[in-house]
Amino acid sequence: MDEKILSKFFDRDDGHKLEVYEDHGGYDAARKAAEMSREEIVNEVKASNLRGRGGAGFPAGVKWSFIPQETEEDKYLVVNADEGEPGTFKDRQIMQRDPHQLIEGCIITAMALDLRYCYIYIRGELKFTEDIIQDAIEECYDKGYLGEDIFGTDQDLDIYTHISAGAYICGEETGMIEGLEGKPGKPRIKPPFPAIVGVFDAPTLVNNVESIACVPPVINRGAEWFANLGVEKNGGPKLYGLSGPIKNPGVYEAPSGITVRELLESPEYGGGMKEGKELKAYIPGGSSCAVLTPDELDREMSFEAMREVGSNLGTGCVTFVDQDTCMVRLAARLAHFYHHESCGQCTPCRDGTGWSAKVLDAIEAGRGRHEDLDLLEDMTGQIEHSTICALGPSLTFVVHSYLDKFPEEFEAHIEQGECPFPSWSLDDTKPAAAE
Amino acid sequence: MPKVTINNEEIEVDDGTTVMEAAAQLGYDIPHFCYHPALSIPANCRMCLVEVEDNPDLQPSCHMPVNDGMEVHTESERVVKARKSVLEFILVNHPVDCPICDQAGECKLQDYYMAYDAQESRLRTEKVDGVKVYPLGPEVVYDGERCILCTRCVRFCEEITETDELTTAQRGDHTEIRTFPGQELDNNYSMCTVDICPVGALTARDFRFKCRVWLMNTTDSVCTGCSQGCNIHLDHFRNEVQRYRPRYNPDVNDYWMCDPGRYTYKEVHQDRLEDPMVGDNVVNWHAATQAYVSTMDEALDTFEPSERAMVLSPQVSCEGLHQARRFADEVLETDRLYMGGKPGGESDDLLMNADKNPNRRGIEYVFGGLEAVDSFESLVDAMEAGEIRVLHMMNKHIPTTDDALRARFVDAVADLDLFVLQAMHRGEMVFPPDHRGDFPAADLDDPTLVELADIALPSSSHAEQDGTFVNEDGIAQPFSQSFKPLYNSQPDWQIFGRLGDEMGHSLSYRRLADLREEMFGDAEDDAKPKTLDDKQSKSRAPADAATQPTPAE
Repeated sequence: MDEKILSKFFDRDDGHKLEVYEDHGGYDAARKAAEMSREEIVNEVKASNLRGRGGAGFPAGVKWSFIPQETEEDKYLVVNADEGEPGTFKDRQIMQRDPHQLIEGCIITAMALDLRYCYIYIRGELKFTEDIIQDAIEECYDKGYLGEDIFGTDQDLDIYTHISAGAYICGEETGMIEGLEGKPGKPRIKPPFPAIVGVFDAPTLVNNVESIACVPPVINRGAEWFANLGVEKNGGPKLYGLSGPIKNPGVYEAPSGITVRELLESPEYGGGMKEGKELKAYIPGGSSCAVLTPDELDREMSFEAMREVGSNLGTGCVTFVDQDTCMVRLAARLAHFYHHESCGQCTPCRDGTGWSAKVLDAIEAGRGRHEDLDLLEDMTGQIEHSTICALGPSLTFVVHSYLDKFPEEFEAHIEQGECPFPSWSLDDTKPAAAE
Repeated sequence: MPKVTINNEEIEVDDGTTVMEAAAQLGYDIPHFCYHPALSIPANCRMCLVEVEDNPDLQPSCHMPVNDGMEVHTESERVVKARKSVLEFILVNHPVDCPICDQAGECKLQDYYMAYDAQESRLRTEKVDGVKVYPLGPEVVYDGERCILCTRCVRFCEEITETDELTTAQRGDHTEIRTFPGQELDNNYSMCTVDICPVGALTARDFRFKCRVWLMNTTDSVCTGCSQGCNIHLDHFRNEVQRYRPRYNPDVNDYWMCDPGRYTYKEVHQDRLEDPMVGDNVVNWHAATQAYVSTMDEALDTFEPSERAMVLSPQVSCEGLHQARRFADEVLETDRLYMGGKPGGESDDLLMNADKNPNRRGIEYVFGGLEAVDSFESLVDAMEAGEIRVLHMMNKHIPTTDDALRARFVDAVADLDLFVLQAMHRGEMVFPPDHRGDFPAADLDDPTLVELADIALPSSSHAEQDGTFVNEDGIAQPFSQSFKPLYNSQPDWQIFGRLGDEMGHSLSYRRLADLREEMFGDAEDDAKPKTLDDKQSKSRAPADAATQPTPAE
């Protein structure tokens, strides 16, 4: 992609500074938005086909329109910067290298929906970005971009940063709201949705960092331009994080709807697999998405295309898996992750995640039985539709997709009584096979 | 009003009714752990999931409000499978130590397992270790392995007592119930958490390992700890009360009762006056009655009616008091009546009343007001002035904490010509008992009044007789006999009947129902305690219980 929109300062050391941002047309979108009516801004975002970039892919404009317009209490914007999905590392780049784009997005969003306060909920491990964002916020207050009557409108806006006490589940929007209120991060039952009853029981918009950062370009250059950068129903440029044994892992900006093959093979992006590595599978958008095999490499990176094959675009951060990886071990590793991060509220997730992790461990260690595969399929299937939030169901997708795509590896473990990938074996008593 | 179809049956319900409530109205009992009718709804146990048409996810019926036109299935294949799975998930880390679990026999997990799961175990994995004997407070012990994390106890402390001692700590399957740092579960209602715990995670220190629940019989009764009159299940085994559990009554105590009240069951068994006594001699009832007749006959001849007095006990049932009224009137022919009972004590805003007597309103009802009954202090004054020579006293509680007054009373008793004591206990029971339900030894060792009594007659506790208490709000609450009178005791109404008959008056009744008929039958409506209409009914349903069936606790 020739022109960088979201990542234009990623290569500069001073991209986080207000003067650099303004030299490149920064806060013009906010000034433009100040001249627009609330409805015009919302309609523009709706027309841009901007999809939520946190994983669920809900159309941003539609989500915005759920916020009630006339309310007595103050409304809130919560920016989800609790980027914790395994394999995902894109939001931190925006927060670290281009915080003003995020802040400008917050300002425009607040103008559009009359949001009085904004919280940026930052993952605890990303503490260093808080300092950068906080400096940027100070710069904005000095300039009068934040505070009362911003940009000549009657809109007041204060932005606060909040460091998460640290849990994956606080990335779930209602878990985040609980965390913001100082409570343990346990997702709430929906409905009511945060748009009606959110943080401090007030109407609250929760959006991902990248979603908010996309708002200034939408306003600046128009919804049509933004929508045309992507494919149908998936507008705009997108940040893709590529990881795994590829030549150039990292974060790249590319249009929505680019194929996975191009991301992997183009020298502009991933540059192909490392020497001697052969692609065996890829996870399209963070660990919660179902794993896909190389025959799906020509899939578009769009929510619809990925859902067709039972997976999800998720965060758009692709993890590539090579031929030497034990898929049982990978599935077990992910199951342990969900086990560790389950908040413990709902019975199926609380006890089912740990159970499946232990069963997967047993299979990986060669102690599995054939009926364990049916057990896994059946038991994780019961988590899917019976929990408060989506953490438990994520494990269902993971286990089902690994069982579905790589049954022969599970069978091999059970039949051989040990892991066929010795270097990955859990059993430390056996020497790793010589290379 | 929305109409909902549940299992192809249509029902119209009020706005805001949940699916579980609507199903209960149709007679479907949806299994649940975390839902409790008196607490908020976290919908975390997932046991009550039901299938709602056009909704891909199963929905918690305890939380889901009914919408017009909604179609719900509570027994479909998918729901049955989900219940089975939830039970299986719970058992993943549950120790299944039922043989040593106090909850066994009254455990929701056991019941639901038998009803909905009962399959061969598919579990081969190791279980997560939890704490096994973890005291949360002086009364309650926690078992982290049995806990299903329904958070009923946490919500009870947040919403009912508003003391906020408990929370969940850690996360995932390592989550356990804990007190906040520096706190312990030490409120007046801490043992209610044991009642509402659906499994054996919370056990009461007092009841741990004491008795298997299936051995016990249960009688509907009323707590005698204070004038609130909390409705209770009186659980007993082999003529011994094992524990009290609150019995739902929305007009009186809802689902709760206080810890000190719970411990008053110990009064039934501790330091009882076992046999009739004449002077220092243990005698049988025949001898005691004969001694009473001869001494009292002489006293009635010797002393004027104004020199005879009776101390009434608000610890005694209305039936006993009715007989006391007749006895004072017809036998003693005196109107010198004084108020006895326990001294006042601690109170709070929830259920605990300062008046530690269950039936003061009963005296008011039986005697047509409290004007006829004088204070204990005036009794002591009258005794010291020598105005009273003969005293018949019900129960040996001295209704004051003023040591000087107590001493004056005891001294004055020593000067009486005839002192008859009709009491449950030998010693003075101090209320409330200390935290473990024990009574301070010094008070138990003080049988002064029994020693001073010319005749001492053992009366029975409320567990040993049928009766009625009228609580502070004027609600008459019948209670039932759990077991026959202990030792050689007799219910107060029978003692009065026996003595009265022997004294030549016709005071006894063949049946308690006859006495009740006489006592309540011709009362003016507004003078009647509120619920006397069903005084003889065997049904113990709370007075104004919702007519609609509601989900179980």
